[in-house]
Amino acid sequence: MTQFYTRMGDGKRVLMTREQMINDLQAGMADAADMGGVPDLSSNELEMILEIITDRNRVVGVEPGNEVVLTYDIGQLDFTGDNGNSGNGVDVGRLESALLHERALAADTFELAHADYSIKPVKPIISNEMQTMEQIQQQITVPYFYGAMPNAGLYYAPDGPYGNPADLMREFKIEEAMAAAELTADHLARDIEYVATRMMSAGADGFNFDTTASAGDADFVGTLKGAGALRKACPDAYIMIGMAGESVMGIHGSIEYDGSIVAGTYPHQQVKFAQKAGANVFGPVVNTNTSKSLAWNLARAVTFVKECVNVSDIPCHVNMGMGVGGIPMCETAPLDALTRCNKAMVEIAKVDGI
Amino acid sequence: MAVPHYMTSGMGGIRSAGDLVARMQFSKNMKIEKAKEYVAKKLGISTLEIADEHIMRELREELKIGVVTGVPGAPRGIAAKMNIEKLLGIKINSCEIFRQKTKG
Amino acid sequence: MEDNKKALYDAMVSCKVPSIQGAVENARKAGLAATAIIDTMSEAMTQVGILFERGKLFLPHVLSAAAGMKNAMGVLGPELIESGGMSAKMASVVMGTVEGDVHDIGKSICSTMLQCAGFDVHDLGRDVPKAEFVRKVKEGCTMCGMSALMTTTMTVQKEVIEMLKAEGLRDKVVVMVGGAPVTQAYADKIGADIFGETASETTGKAKMAA
Repeated sequence: MTQFYTRMGDGKRVLMTREQMINDLQAGMADAADMGGVPDLSSNELEMILEIITDRNRVVGVEPGNEVVLTYDIGQLDFTGDNGNSGNGVDVGRLESALLHERALAADTFELAHADYSIKPVKPIISNEMQTMEQIQQQITVPYFYGAMPNAGLYYAPDGPYGNPADLMREFKIEEAMAAAELTADHLARDIEYVATRMMSAGADGFNFDTTASAGDADFVGTLKGAGALRKACPDAYIMIGMAGESVMGIHGSIEYDGSIVAGTYPHQQVKFAQKAGANVFGPVVNTNTSKSLAWNLARAVTFVKECVNVSDIPCHVNMGMGVGGIPMCETAPLDALTRCNKAMVEIAKVDGI
Repeated sequence: MAVPHYMTSGMGGIRSAGDLVARMQFSKNMKIEKAKEYVAKKLGISTLEIADEHIMRELREELKIGVVTGVPGAPRGIAAKMNIEKLLGIKINSCEIFRQKTKG
Repeated sequence: MEDNKKALYDAMVSCKVPSIQGAVENARKAGLAATAIIDTMSEAMTQVGILFERGKLFLPHVLSAAAGMKNAMGVLGPELIESGGMSAKMASVVMGTVEGDVHDIGKSICSTMLQCAGFDVHDLGRDVPKAEFVRKVKEGCTMCGMSALMTTTMTVQKEVIEMLKAEGLRDKVVVMVGGAPVTQAYADKIGADIFGETASETTGKAKMAA
């Protein structure tokens, strides 16, 4: 029986038959449909994914005319990060990095980021960030954002003023934990407004909220409120809200945005909140299961993202990197897997960007 | 991961018209097809051609909206963005601030 | 009797402490044995874990159910001992997020699920110095669970394993690793015994290893 080289979710190369892949495609799709309550893919769409995965070429690409916009998270840190920080350890400046992405790496947008890449620590150095934004805006042509993670974890003990829900819940202080999460959401929203409006006054095209809801549902609510405040203060700001994971973790469990509980929501539900908050672009995430095959992970990711794109009134730029979007959880993502996931997201899930 | 993503499905930024399509997505919430159609119409070419480096290189130089390599006299940065504003019929924040600062 | 068991099960899955307490009292009044009450609650706790992982229940719910179970154990403990129904803990487990890493939500969920499965859990919290894991193993923990959420800190799991080897303790302890960037391949590479993709998978594997 013919076998094809493919990957597991941790990046390991394995051989699988078409039949094995078809089984995994169906199982991955069924898992997404069950978890998120989203429609199955059609048999034709599953066949298309199979065709992409079993392509004998090392890399695959979309047909001319199907190209999409590429936006980037984490700013210059992809170059400068080192010592396990998922970067290349090349200590270039922020201007150089921005222009390299624009002129050498074909980026459609880019962003300025602080080494800590979180909203809270930007407050004390806001003047430096504004100065750098002003200078780079003189030289860059592509849309240039300020980017940071909302990272509500920094508002909880030991890093912030509020009790840590994980500690409080361990002591079964459930109500105190919930109260701490609510206070954090409001504090985060205030800080977002402070940082984002100042960066806009320095000439930023907009703000990229990256890894939203990494600290759970209160993180998401705080970000949505902050984004709403930014939209009100700066009606023309470009706002992008990208998620941390496929489902919003219920650390609080019942905190609401605009009258709806956000915990447990999946991409097709999250995008509605982002729209309401005034986002222009939403970045859905689907996590990769390292013990499952590329076929399983990709079918699952496409099932989730396709529905998100379907119901969304704003463009969706899917997160495609290490451990998300069907791509293996591997810092040096295998080229064959990455290009296959990318093509499937564009041509089957019909994303507006990556 | 920038290189494989670009090679698989990227528009190409200022190598073609990726930045322009991105601006329409972000400023007007346009989905990809609509944003491409809008930009293509403004450029007077087809939606297939807006990601064609050969066509866009010449157009970008002609329209003074920024090119990848250093062409003498061809604007990049704030000057190119001011031309993009006119081309696309949008306002760009950094240009607005630049204008405010240079107002007599 | 079956109705009482069902009411108890449903109360646990509803994750409301007063309801759980009420259901335990009713079951006792109806003459349900303490062991049967605890068995029913454990079964329900497994279901709570499944619902949590499927995004139908959230962390406060899991912890509320765990709190209800803990309260019941307090009330039923003497009766269980008297009847000989109080089984020994499955194993003593030290749990923690490794040093340099402050992400401990996933690890805390795992600790709670291990506890509900009958393990004696010593959760050291987050940013735990390497030597602390070794110390707890020396004190008698036969399982050591380490979480890491970053590529920067996952290497610490390997360092702790090396320290356990250096102290001659490696063969006396089952090492479990988990966290977002950790994979089965990495667990194999560093010589861990158990890799868990999720809290319930880890608990299931720990039960088999105990």
